[in-house]
Amino acid sequence: MQTAPAKPPQVDAKLIVPFVNAVRHVLRTMAGWESNVERPRLKQKQGPEYDYSGIIAFSGTLIGTVVVSFHRDLAVKLVAAFVGCELPADTADFADAIGELANLIVGAAKAELGVNASISVPTVIMGKGHIVARPSDIPCIVVPCKTDAGEFAVEVSIKAA
Amino acid sequence: MQFIEQEIRRLTPEIWDAMLHLALDPESEVPKTQSRVVSACVYITGAWNGAVALSCDVAFASEAAAIMFNLADATPTTADMQDALGELTNMIGGNVKALLPEPCHLSLPSAVEGADYSVRILRSKVVTQVPFRCGNRSMSVSLLEREERAN
Repeated sequence: MQTAPAKPPQVDAKLIVPFVNAVRHVLRTMAGWESNVERPRLKQKQGPEYDYSGIIAFSGTLIGTVVVSFHRDLAVKLVAAFVGCELPADTADFADAIGELANLIVGAAKAELGVNASISVPTVIMGKGHIVARPSDIPCIVVPCKTDAGEFAVEVSIKAA
Repeated sequence: MQFIEQEIRRLTPEIWDAMLHLALDPESEVPKTQSRVVSACVYITGAWNGAVALSCDVAFASEAAAIMFNLADATPTTADMQDALGELTNMIGGNVKALLPEPCHLSLPSAVEGADYSVRILRSKVVTQVPFRCGNRSMSVSLLEREERAN
């Protein structure tokens, strides 16, 4: 007997659009960069690996995590545009800048979502080739972002509690 | 004595015993490992803000995943290890949350695996760090509290 193929998990687009808007807004206002956000897609497998990731968790009426991940070259340029000077990429100040960027993006998205949820302080992972896992029971939507300096990703794994 | 250190020393071995049937013993120093490391974190927001983090080497995480998911001869994947560590961290976080002022919310866990990475939780300080040993393997549980911004 054949079994029907598993249906892909349903994702509420209303939860994703605010992150698309937030990326554009934050990069334009905080770094003076224009960004091109490509069509969000369902993440099917683990990876790719990044060098810097800012992780922020939702709790309350929304639960899950959002991860903003960068490769080193782009991170260095973006942080320089954000803080106004180039920072050594292995310092706490650099990590703080990555965390603040993640916080601004997720904070702006949360404001547009208009939900009564809390977001955590950002956690920043620094290290080549690390892999960030998210809750396995929440679909992960990748929001691919392109800039003139390179690409980065916002991975959204949230759902109503 | 660190903030709720005694409680973490008590409840973590209880969770290990209940979930994995493994005995955890107190360790005097936080382990330094050269191998790949798995870290998991749950965040607490509300009347108290911070995070509970658990970190161990891949061999320990693999053993935990094999037991938790009854994988028998199969080799646990990175996702299995991250799920296992996430679940254990979630249980520790749930117990820690019960000791904190109400109301507090607990996030779902996030986990990271890699060979050479550092974890920095912004605007937070480590208030408690408790190392454990399980045979020849080691792990640590950390509690980080959000630092209030000066006005």
